[in-house]
Amino acid sequence: MTVQTSGGGGGAIDRPSSSSLADVVDTILDKGLVIDAYVRVSLIGIELLTIDARIVIASVDTYLRFAEAANRLDLAQSGNSQGLPDLLHGGQQQGNQQQGVEQGKGQAAIEGVTDKLNELTDQVQQLAQPGRQRSGEGE
Amino acid sequence: MSASAQTGQAQPGQQRVGWYIYGITTKDVEINSGAPAVGDPPGKVEVVRHGDVAALVSQVDVDRPLGRPDDLLAHERLLDGVAAKAPVLPIRFGAVVASREAVLDELLTPHGDEFARALREIEGRFEYLVRAKYVERAVVGEVLSENPTVAQLRERLAGQPEEATRDERIQLGQMIAQAVEAKRTEDTQKLIEAVESVVVANAVRPPSNEFDTANIAFLVERERQSDFENALQRVAADWDGRVTLRLLGPVAPYDFVQPPAPPQ
Repeated sequence: MTVQTSGGGGGAIDRPSSSSLADVVDTILDKGLVIDAYVRVSLIGIELLTIDARIVIASVDTYLRFAEAANRLDLAQSGNSQGLPDLLHGGQQQGNQQQGVEQGKGQAAIEGVTDKLNELTDQVQQLAQPGRQRSGEGE
Repeated sequence: MSASAQTGQAQPGQQRVGWYIYGITTKDVEINSGAPAVGDPPGKVEVVRHGDVAALVSQVDVDRPLGRPDDLLAHERLLDGVAAKAPVLPIRFGAVVASREAVLDELLTPHGDEFARALREIEGRFEYLVRAKYVERAVVGEVLSENPTVAQLRERLAGQPEEATRDERIQLGQMIAQAVEAKRTEDTQKLIEAVESVVVANAVRPPSNEFDTANIAFLVERERQSDFENALQRVAADWDGRVTLRLLGPVAPYDFVQPPAPPQ
């Protein structure tokens, strides 16, 4: 459910009525009071993953994505309606293998993210196991 | 109160329970029976009071994994729901203590005064999260028109086979990334300045996507909420077609709580 705030002309602000899972992960795993050292234990893995996610911004993959964005912009701005389909068609004929590789890459990146999320969930689950809690008599 | 005697110690045929802590609020807060709670099935949120402060807690089965998406969402939704009505100090996801007594003895008793002070400070103030994101075509177009070197390199690479120009494409992307980074710094500052006069504080979060413009938490007084929204509206109008703005909140003050000093 999204409420659009309309105001002084142009530039609507998207106002979701509640947080998405992505918002929540950013917020409650990384922020808030840490009440004691033993509470932190369940969060160490998460913090590392959060840092990983930030490093991604300055990676070769990011640079290649920017380069592709620039390339797309060129095609879109050329105004030649035949340019894009022609190129796509040509690309398919001339470099099937190459395109396959590129698609594969995109897929891998998405899978990578999913893996990371699963890994994150696994870590939360493992780290939240009772053995990690300070129970004194439980160990 | 039978559950309060349990300490999480394993006993044959008995469920081991812990007490999950969501946050700290004022003593007069009441929680509805249907409030969001972690666990499957969700627990019942209770208010454990001590002096002027109270902890929001619910029982969890400690033998079951915690951290499913539903658990994360429940934690945030409970806190955001309370934050709309009363001051609340969010506790980071995953805090579990062994017993109801431990909530009092280990949390509220040693830290009660600090919590009360922090709650007074946060009273009547709300956190908003503003996420601004570049429109890809617009920002890349800006970079190309502002940097002739970048535009020339892009021109040279156009139509060339990708595998033969990988290094140059990385170089092109890196130059664009640096230009976008500079814009991000500048635009984050612009956004902060645009609302500076109507907010109490800001906390800049790191970008999580290469097209992020700014990701900022703002603390806003109750009386300034509409001023804040209007100021943002002006920013959105200025940046129309270039940047999209997303406003979340009011939420609990996740970005503005300080860890209490360790007990002496």
